[in-house]
Amino acid sequence: MTPDVESQLTQLEQRLRLQTDGLAQMLQGRWTGRQSLEADLKLLNPTTQLTPKPPLLVSQAPAPPKGWRSTYQPNTEMPPQVYDWTCSACSLDWVLRATGVAPHHTREQAVSEIGYPENVNPTYGLMDSSGSALRRVFADYGLQTGQAWLTFDQVWAGANQSTGQMSGGTWYHWVAIRGTKGSDLWIANSAPGYKGVWDILTREQFAALGPFSVVYLV
Amino acid sequence: MTDAELEATITQLQQQVELMNQALIAMLEGKWVGAPPSAEAYLYALNPWLQGTLKLDPPVVPDGSHDPGR
Repeated sequence: MTPDVESQLTQLEQRLRLQTDGLAQMLQGRWTGRQSLEADLKLLNPTTQLTPKPPLLVSQAPAPPKGWRSTYQPNTEMPPQVYDWTCSACSLDWVLRATGVAPHHTREQAVSEIGYPENVNPTYGLMDSSGSALRRVFADYGLQTGQAWLTFDQVWAGANQSTGQMSGGTWYHWVAIRGTKGSDLWIANSAPGYKGVWDILTREQFAALGPFSVVYLV
Repeated sequence: MTDAELEATITQLQQQVELMNQALIAMLEGKWVGAPPSAEAYLYALNPWLQGTLKLDPPVVPDGSHDPGR
């Protein structure tokens, strides 16, 4: 073998060693700086122009959701309500099913748990618009809740983080909160089309149908 | 270097280049760590001495299970 061939082989071995080291650096999250993939690539070819864009690493990633947030399914079906007074029970049932806390929960269960007829009945629907009876049911399932009369912006911000139920004073109707769609609220509505609202609640509709009492999961 | 040594060196280099290719494919497919076929496994095949010496911190690989907007 000529010295030239031997030199070429040695160079190849060195290059492969640098590539192997670059692979080890990547696996350890060292993409740029000293002792990194970038440093190895510069050694492999000093004239190469690099514009590194290191990826998000497992050590930098946000913690996975815990509790009901890990099982929450905002696309959970909301069938139309059969009776005109059960909207609070329907939306309570939706939250319990959508969060995975009680996947096989029923509306009949919800009416019973809220308390028929003292807390919910055909004459008035839900008796306490602050949602105290709803919060008690959630607590029975181990869910912590808060309640407040909120503005559209407050509900919109909260809907990106949590779910719950809300009722408009003028609307006289309870719905569940799925999340947001653009600048609107995305709701689970058991009376689709009632007062012109389907599964989206706009800022204008919110203003017209409020004030809104919101029971939200913490 | 004898001809036999030369042949052995070339064979070894060819094998290592193939392992490097497989590692690149594994990375492209988001298989960074764990049992073969992963980049980690091919790296140990390239250099067995690295086994047990690395503090792994691979890129986050989206699994597609996250609900958009959540």
